Amino acid sequence: MSRILKKSNKLHKGNKIQEILMITPMTIGFLMFSVYPIIWVLRWSFFKYNGYSEPVFIGLDNFVRAFTRDSAYWGSLKNTFLIAGLKMLIEIPLSLLLAVLLNNRIKGSSFFRVVFFLPSVFSIAVVGLIFSILFSAYNGIINAALRELGFISRNISWFSDKGHAMFVIILVSLWTTFGLNMIYFLMGLQNTSKSLYECSSIDGANEIQQFFHITVPMVAPILQLVLMMSVLGTMKMTDLILVLTNGAPGGSTEVVMTYIFKYFFSYGESSSKEVQFGYASAMAVITAIILGIVTLIYLKVSKKMQSIDE
Amino acid sequence: MKKVTKLILRMILYGFLAVVTLFAVFPVVYILLSSFKSNQEILVGGVRIIPLEWHLENYVQAWNLANFGKLTFNSIFYTVVVVAGCVLTSILAGYVFARGTTRFSQVVNVMLLCSMFVSIGTLSLYPQLSLAKLFGLNGTLWGPIIIRVFGMNATQVFVATGFIRQISKEIDEAAQIDGCSFFGIFCRIIFPLCKPLVATTGLMAFRTAWSDYLLPYVFTISAKEKWPLVVGVVSLKSSGEAVSSWNLMLAGISISILPMFIIYLFLNKYFISGLTEGSVKG
Repeated sequence: MSRILKKSNKLHKGNKIQEILMITPMTIGFLMFSVYPIIWVLRWSFFKYNGYSEPVFIGLDNFVRAFTRDSAYWGSLKNTFLIAGLKMLIEIPLSLLLAVLLNNRIKGSSFFRVVFFLPSVFSIAVVGLIFSILFSAYNGIINAALRELGFISRNISWFSDKGHAMFVIILVSLWTTFGLNMIYFLMGLQNTSKSLYECSSIDGANEIQQFFHITVPMVAPILQLVLMMSVLGTMKMTDLILVLTNGAPGGSTEVVMTYIFKYFFSYGESSSKEVQFGYASAMAVITAIILGIVTLIYLKVSKKMQSIDE
Repeated sequence: MKKVTKLILRMILYGFLAVVTLFAVFPVVYILLSSFKSNQEILVGGVRIIPLEWHLENYVQAWNLANFGKLTFNSIFYTVVVVAGCVLTSILAGYVFARGTTRFSQVVNVMLLCSMFVSIGTLSLYPQLSLAKLFGLNGTLWGPIIIRVFGMNATQVFVATGFIRQISKEIDEAAQIDGCSFFGIFCRIIFPLCKPLVATTGLMAFRTAWSDYLLPYVFTISAKEKWPLVVGVVSLKSSGEAVSSWNLMLAGISISILPMFIIYLFLNKYFISGLTEGSVKG
């Protein structure tokens, strides 16, 4: 008996070692590629450093610069929130409406589902390129179609003023995710039992009342998830802006990630900005903290909302 | 009367769905069709969607002159290695997180979860690159490959963990009594049961790798012959060559989106489940 116990104990120990060995390569990778970069930016945020000259410790100067002298950084942050907010105003109702329509098992429902999800599978960078062709000022099809229909008499130069450029950015980012969010809502709706609707219709509720009193509360948890991902996703948006506008005109459509990115790498032909790793790191730290705060507030608020519901 | 209102409602419904369908597919269809137009026709513009004449040689030229053959090869190489690697590492990590008992794996799991909230997104690219330089991995696709394969994609790992948790534990216990070790159970029992999981994580990794832009871009900026397709296609826009070769750029875009398009047509179920499951569970 004791021999068997001893053996199983040995095996047990061996199992633990195996388990640790199995996860070690990925842990090293995680530490190197996810944790180390955060430590790296934390460290260099206190230095004046551009990769060539000797790094100089300057304390909090980088942070002071970001908070007091760099209005462009805050402008890019404002753009980010503006894009996230406006996009959500259109996207959430649209995705929810599509989900409700397709949930009713209408003819061709699965076809529409597949079609609406299609934009989500392509490379964001290539999507940016596709739309910059569609909205091209001289030979783009959008201008041609608007002219043909008589809405405009002269071609619109979509990327040379901020308003039009922001419109295109929001449209494109809406294009890439509305189908995905529709699928989330559909999943939420499919968990809603049919009997609720049957009961309420016996009690004389009409379809609009059903929507607001059954459908909306039932998809509320999914709605919270979608909002969260939508905001965080937009906050981290980089590729699309780099390819679509690259900040044009004159850096006015820069979002926070692309603005900082250009202090790390010179991107695009018009880039005259010199790289400044120290300052870029400080801005990365500030942005990470803002992102964290947004997430925390969000989690707090949604928790409160849940407790009210109960 | 009621029949008529029902019919009108139905028409409004399908009209709305048709508009959204047009919104979703038009950009892709337009680019695919325009890639057959002559450069002249593209430059003039206009509302014509179907090409006046079909110029298949756009593809031949892009393939040979603009070096898209090489770029496509790079993309295929990158994607195949990343998909194979990611499937293995994410299922392995998922197994350890779902069945492991050590403190160590629990801590790693929690850290991975936290990384979804504390992250600096694309700003970690520079530190990653500077780290890769120490190992001489800059200027090749091996840097991005190692980052994608061993960097633990939280979404993929969470899908894998969720899937393996659903496999009955009794099977493991039976095997354990028969003397199978922790690793042995993975090889002989869990992994063979993970075929649907291989499809889901594989497609997720495929989408990531085939679409990857900034990561391979910063690693191979100066090594043009190592570029994957997306990097090469986007570079055409900023290089100014574009004006004289819109047709090549359009053919290049088509080459880069067609594989995704075709695979999506056949495997859309797995795509949709993979992308949604991950974030809901995470």
